[in-house]
Amino acid sequence: MRIAELLEKRRQGWIELERMCDSFRSAKYPFANKGSQVSRFSALYRAACTDLAMAEQYQLPPTTVEYLHRLVGRAHSQLYRSRQSGPARWIRYVSMIAPQSIFRDPCVKVAFVVFFGLFTLSAMLAWNEVRFPGFAERMLGAEQIKKMEESFDKPLERNFDQYVMMAGFYIKHNTSIGLQCFALGPLILPSLCALAYNAVVLGASFGYMARSDVDAGDVFFQFVTAHGVFELTAIALSAASGLRLGVGLFSTGGLRRLESFRLNAERALPIILASVVLFFLAAFTEGFISPSPLPYFFKACVAMLSSGLLMYYFVVLGYPRPDIERELANNEDNPWRTIGVDRATR
Amino acid sequence: MNPQNSIDLTAVITTPENIQFEYRIAGPFRRLPSFLLDFAIRMMCVITFYIIAFLVGGTALLPVGMILFLIMLVAFAFDWFYGLFFESYWNGQTPGKWLTQIRVISVDGRPINAYQATVRNFLRLADFAPMVSFEAFVTDAPPAYAVPTFLVALICMTLSPRFQRLGDLAAGTMVVVNERSWVPSNVKLEDPRVASLSEHIPPNFRMSSTLAKAIALYAERRSRISVGRRTELASHLARPLLKQFNFLADTSPDLLLCALYYREFVSKEAFSDAKRFAPPIASASMSRIAEIGPVATQEPALTPTPESLPPFLNHRL
Repeated sequence: MRIAELLEKRRQGWIELERMCDSFRSAKYPFANKGSQVSRFSALYRAACTDLAMAEQYQLPPTTVEYLHRLVGRAHSQLYRSRQSGPARWIRYVSMIAPQSIFRDPCVKVAFVVFFGLFTLSAMLAWNEVRFPGFAERMLGAEQIKKMEESFDKPLERNFDQYVMMAGFYIKHNTSIGLQCFALGPLILPSLCALAYNAVVLGASFGYMARSDVDAGDVFFQFVTAHGVFELTAIALSAASGLRLGVGLFSTGGLRRLESFRLNAERALPIILASVVLFFLAAFTEGFISPSPLPYFFKACVAMLSSGLLMYYFVVLGYPRPDIERELANNEDNPWRTIGVDRATR
Repeated sequence: MNPQNSIDLTAVITTPENIQFEYRIAGPFRRLPSFLLDFAIRMMCVITFYIIAFLVGGTALLPVGMILFLIMLVAFAFDWFYGLFFESYWNGQTPGKWLTQIRVISVDGRPINAYQATVRNFLRLADFAPMVSFEAFVTDAPPAYAVPTFLVALICMTLSPRFQRLGDLAAGTMVVVNERSWVPSNVKLEDPRVASLSEHIPPNFRMSSTLAKAIALYAERRSRISVGRRTELASHLARPLLKQFNFLADTSPDLLLCALYYREFVSKEAFSDAKRFAPPIASASMSRIAEIGPVATQEPALTPTPESLPPFLNHRL
């Protein structure tokens, strides 16, 4: 057979494959209920693959070879599509893999110690006016303190419109800041600085408001109690995810730098996702429950319930147990699987 | 990355069929238009939503607070989840990427999954860094307008072999060109002298594969080149060949290259078909029965040699 004849013969198949690629492009499930089409498509694809593989031997013209490369590429990305993961895989990820990998992550521990350590320290210093005079004023600025006192001067009362609107604002504003902490993680310093700054400023505000001679303190604690647990945890978690990304750049654990960066991004993902969920929960609590004139007892109950929830998720579900570790050691979704194998076999 | 082709911007993928094919990698100048398109689409969606919200918002259908809540939620969702959603549900393409015909895939050639789409889209902000405010240039500009400079993305792309930005490096993805190209057609050589000249080329002349490629590229493009330029281009290759074949020195170089193309790609038996020596058994035995009669005394050979077959089967290909 001559090359010209061969090209003439095969061209029909290529054009048909091209047409099938076009018709499948945007459909989510291209092959649902189309058994005959699948077999036709894969037959045509295999034929094109063979033509490409034989191109050198047939001495096809270079433009034809390039055409075949593109055709096979297009067909390949249609045939081997993103796997549509079923709900079971998602449930497993959320209920098992995410808490386990967050609990074992040293970066989370560091971020929590830094955040809550600085928070407590700053709160104590701001609260104790006798020993450390002027700390709160220097941290927050006199103007800021005045503004804060004014905003918590009158008892809480808002209408429904304001509740909803503020919830939207908190979602957009706070979650964006959390995601920025994650995205700026590779540069390390921005995440850490944001974390320390938040810890000191929030701590100083809490400490100042807890002073017995500050009148606005009552209303302030009425406001912050309900959503504080979610929000403070979310801030610490978002910084932890950024830190995890940044640490991967220099603590490679024997991997190549790029490979380590990629792996640590995988480890940072459950942390930032948990943080986003917590920011959403905090925003709804802050929008609807915190500013409402409900009794303080109810808000304290919400705070306790939410801390119990967080404890259950991060500690009870996340505590490393040998049976779970063995189960997750070879799970492809588990970002710590390479280390998990060592531990499980030890 | 294939070391032989390392100056070309291609990624070599090995499929489960054990075939190697190449993707062309999309560079920054291919990706910027798609980013701007996506940005425009996002803005248009958000603005359309605002207009609808303000039209509906005055009525009793929706209270004002609810409208503002939805507006902020939509703005937030479009900011952070637009690329993530489309890339994981549209097989690695957003509307902008679809329009500019590029696609995100894993570096190993598999399509991207939701996890990779999340990582590369959440890290987009780091690629925008550093943000520059207009205040640096105009003192009375409002501080809100910070413009991304894309410096991190550009530096990452220049340093990585696959034009990956920071988010791509973290997710293990790359962006490839996904366009269809025109179907190659056979070159039309109407000139009758081409066939006759190809007869005169010495039969023992064997083309190297690079020469064959060069000639094929020339023959496919010559219809778009003016006659004078054809002679100029072809003479580089043709002059030594004319001497080698002992042709007249004033033979048209263009004609010679066409003749070589004709000989190599149109008239030559490029390869032998494997089925040539394995004709359908049924028809062979049927014909033999017809020849010899009802009783077949001859033991049929398991693999028929060309001699054992009737002559018409030998020449069918």
